[in-house]
Amino acid sequence: MSNPRTRTSSAGSQFLDPAVLGRIGNLELLARTVVDGFLTGLHRSPYLGFSVDFAEHRPYMPGDDIRRIDWRLFARTDRHYIKLFEADTNANFSVLLDLSASMSYGSHSLTKLDYARYLTACLTYFSSRQRDRVGLVTFDHEIVDYVPPSMKHLDTILHTLDKAKAGRPGSLAAPMLRITEMLGRKGILVIVSDFYEEPDAVLSAVGPLRARGHDVIVFHVMDPYELEFPFEEASGFEDLETGEQIPVIPTRLKADYIAMIGTHLEALAKRFKDNRIDYALLDTSKPLDTALFQYLLARERMSRTR
Amino acid sequence: MSLAFLVPLFLLGVAGIVVPIVVHLTRRQRRNVVHFPSLMFLEKIPFQEQRRRRVQHWLLLSLRALALVLVAAAFARPFVDQSEIGAGGALGPREVVVLVDQSYSMAIGDQLERAMERARRVFDGLGPLDRASLVAFSQGAHVVARSTSDRLRLRGALDTLQISSGATRYGPALKVAQTILEESNLPSGEVYLLSDFQRNGWTGDEGVRLPPGSRVIPVPLGGDEIVDNVMVTDVSLPRQAVAGRERITPTARIARRGGDAPREVAVVLEVDGQAIQSRSITLAPNTAAAVPFQPFTLSQPHTTGSIRLPDDALAADNAHHFVVSPGASLPVLIVEGGASSDVSLYLRGALDISDDGRFSVRTRRASSIRPVDVDGVSAVFLNDVQIDGASAEVIRGFVEGGGGAFIALSQNGGWPASAADLLPGSIGAMEDRVQGRGGRLGYIEYEHPVFEVFAGPRSGDFTGARFFRARRFTLSDSAAVLARFDDGSVALAELRHGRGKVLVWTTSLDAFWNDLALQPVYLPFVHRITEYLAGRAESMPWFVTGQVVDLANPEALLTAGLVSSEAAGLVDGLDQVALSPQGGSLPLPAGDGPRYLPLDEHGFYTVRQPGSDPARPFVIAVNVDLEESNLARIDPEELALQIEAPGAAPGAGPRLGEAMELRRADQERRQSLWRWLLVVALALFAAETVVSNWVSRRSAGAVGAVPG
Repeated sequence: MSNPRTRTSSAGSQFLDPAVLGRIGNLELLARTVVDGFLTGLHRSPYLGFSVDFAEHRPYMPGDDIRRIDWRLFARTDRHYIKLFEADTNANFSVLLDLSASMSYGSHSLTKLDYARYLTACLTYFSSRQRDRVGLVTFDHEIVDYVPPSMKHLDTILHTLDKAKAGRPGSLAAPMLRITEMLGRKGILVIVSDFYEEPDAVLSAVGPLRARGHDVIVFHVMDPYELEFPFEEASGFEDLETGEQIPVIPTRLKADYIAMIGTHLEALAKRFKDNRIDYALLDTSKPLDTALFQYLLARERMSRTR
Repeated sequence: MSLAFLVPLFLLGVAGIVVPIVVHLTRRQRRNVVHFPSLMFLEKIPFQEQRRRRVQHWLLLSLRALALVLVAAAFARPFVDQSEIGAGGALGPREVVVLVDQSYSMAIGDQLERAMERARRVFDGLGPLDRASLVAFSQGAHVVARSTSDRLRLRGALDTLQISSGATRYGPALKVAQTILEESNLPSGEVYLLSDFQRNGWTGDEGVRLPPGSRVIPVPLGGDEIVDNVMVTDVSLPRQAVAGRERITPTARIARRGGDAPREVAVVLEVDGQAIQSRSITLAPNTAAAVPFQPFTLSQPHTTGSIRLPDDALAADNAHHFVVSPGASLPVLIVEGGASSDVSLYLRGALDISDDGRFSVRTRRASSIRPVDVDGVSAVFLNDVQIDGASAEVIRGFVEGGGGAFIALSQNGGWPASAADLLPGSIGAMEDRVQGRGGRLGYIEYEHPVFEVFAGPRSGDFTGARFFRARRFTLSDSAAVLARFDDGSVALAELRHGRGKVLVWTTSLDAFWNDLALQPVYLPFVHRITEYLAGRAESMPWFVTGQVVDLANPEALLTAGLVSSEAAGLVDGLDQVALSPQGGSLPLPAGDGPRYLPLDEHGFYTVRQPGSDPARPFVIAVNVDLEESNLARIDPEELALQIEAPGAAPGAGPRLGEAMELRRADQERRQSLWRWLLVVALALFAAETVVSNWVSRRSAGAVGAVPG
């Protein structure tokens, strides 16, 4: 007998294959196709279970809303307990999308930006189905577009994503600081970027968002060529953001490069983890379900911890 | 000597070496450009920075750069500039004249060797366009090599120089240098004067003036120390007839210059090569002494003798050579009138008085002369006699044959009109000079052989003689006056006729009309007249280097001491050869012209004819000029200033610029270094190709290697 999860995942992945998604011009249709197919495939998934139902009790602490005291339990135990419910689904959900020039790179039919746009569209659609308020911030070295979180902004976000183009040098510090100031209400923040900055600089830019109470999920979008460096012929490598060009003998550099990028990724993962930020490395050649699973796991964890 | 470039502008091409260097350092890979999100990690790898900025193949870069440098240098036409070699190298091509003093004073120390070494250095320093001449000089100048740039020839000519016997004379050598420089078309001239600079060699009136653009570089070779030199300055050879044979009592005069203490000197007399006597004298510094020797008998003609001193710093003046021969008496005929028997008393007495019996006098008292009377006679005195026409014809024949006739007109003296052309004039009446203290000789031709011995001071005084009467004499056009009275009238006249001569004395030879016979000068006067009439010249026991003897001239031969050609084994019309003192052979071909023998070496010259082996060959003694023994020096710079053209800067001619350029171009053309540079450059390019291909293949074989 075949593994049903494996089968369903495999069936769903047909719709989540980036190469297939690339042929769908409409982002809304794309997001609906992905999310519906994804949810259908996960119909019997043991991981599905988020709702507004009771989660747990905890002792009353001064300052808690007395309306949340479970009087029935008080009657039985003569103690005050607060009744906690599952996560609030009517949360703010914002995606911070990196539009720096490096995001325009793609070794196959899909660029990193395309992949990020699909991912953003899917997550936004998904969140919208959860009746979350969805928003979008695009940035490079500054804020490019800002769509405030709202129940009605799905179309606006999809439109903004549709016209988003990468072309300018990127930097995290300035736009993250600005976003920290703009987003006053805590919510779920999804950052999609390639993070071509030093890990410490990245954390110093992203950390304040976490410190403001946002649930931050980081999707590190990387092209497979960036990860594997499969070049062989000596070439001039041109930086997409600065235009600088250097001669490179890939065969001599491959080992060093892979080691360095590995170290970089490990450093990022460690620092995000240390700051309780969910981090996921996304390969643009891989289906989107990895990202969606990552997101759902995060939502589930958030719901349980509330 | 330095490296120069004919067209240095092409050296700018050396900047072309920047091209391969820049290519090496800045060359971009001509490959596809890969757009990459970020070079953040690539730039962190230091290997890339090094590769891009570091020269990876030094050998290739060196080959290319060196080849470019060589090509640029070849176009710039390099050459090794040898112009500065030599003192005047910067003045264009030079005409160099090297004057080397070879006088015998150069034998002191190693002066000649040093002169030759210095001359050799001058020749070695000649530029490609320079020319040089080598002139050796002493009393004369001899061009050994003339105006050539062949250094080998010059050095070979230099090796032939040796010490001569001559004295220093700068005039002829500088004249030769002046001629060479004037004939040269080179812009500058240099005269190297290598000498010990003796003051006697320069009088200042030689009239030498070098052409403008020339200069004299004196090279003094002598030291400042005073040389201790002993020399034989003179030898007297008085003769005495003893028992029909001649004896000679030599006396040598020895002088010493320099030194600081008395010195004993051995003086040796050699006769015919054998030392027969020796004397020892002590000479203080800067003194002289006479050394008398015992007389020796002179029996053979052409007897050689020498006075020798021990060797010292200057050896050439330590020997004095002479040649003596037994003298032959001159037969003299005196024809006198019959009025008085003592008319020739003083004349005969004068001719009879001599140590060596040189005159053989025969007297004839008659008015007629027969041919037999003059046979074998060298001189005839017609003393106060009137001869007839036939006798006059005999005298004519005698004179034309080389004899000499002396006609003393006195009271009875006369001459037939038929032979008037034989006299130097016409005879007139008597004139008395009785007023006052009589007449005197107012004019004497001292350059005449008769009077030349009286030219010097205290060598004969004619002013004491008084003349009271004389015959008026009217000169013919071809006659010469040898003496006049103080009133202008003729005292002694001469007419040459054929090979002989006729002298007319217008007063008496005795003490009747004058008192000349009572004066001391009468004796030598009569002797000189007799010898002159006989044609006998004074025999010279020795000559001085630099003199020339004409062996075809009988009088010159007599002067040189030739007794007779037969005795010397010399026959007219045959080639002769002279053997020099140093063994050299000088051919003297027979001919109608003169047969000159230059006496350049000191010692004995022997004249022979091929095949002859006479016991007593004709020998000529030659001694060095003692002026050379005086080593006083002249300031070389003073000498140079006297002969350089004033105000003419050497090489300041309009041709200098062209000559310099021509010289540089000529040097470049001769050396043609550019050809070699191009060959090396081509070889480097070939090597670069090979190395480059090898590197490319190796790079292609290696993973990711980048050529260049």
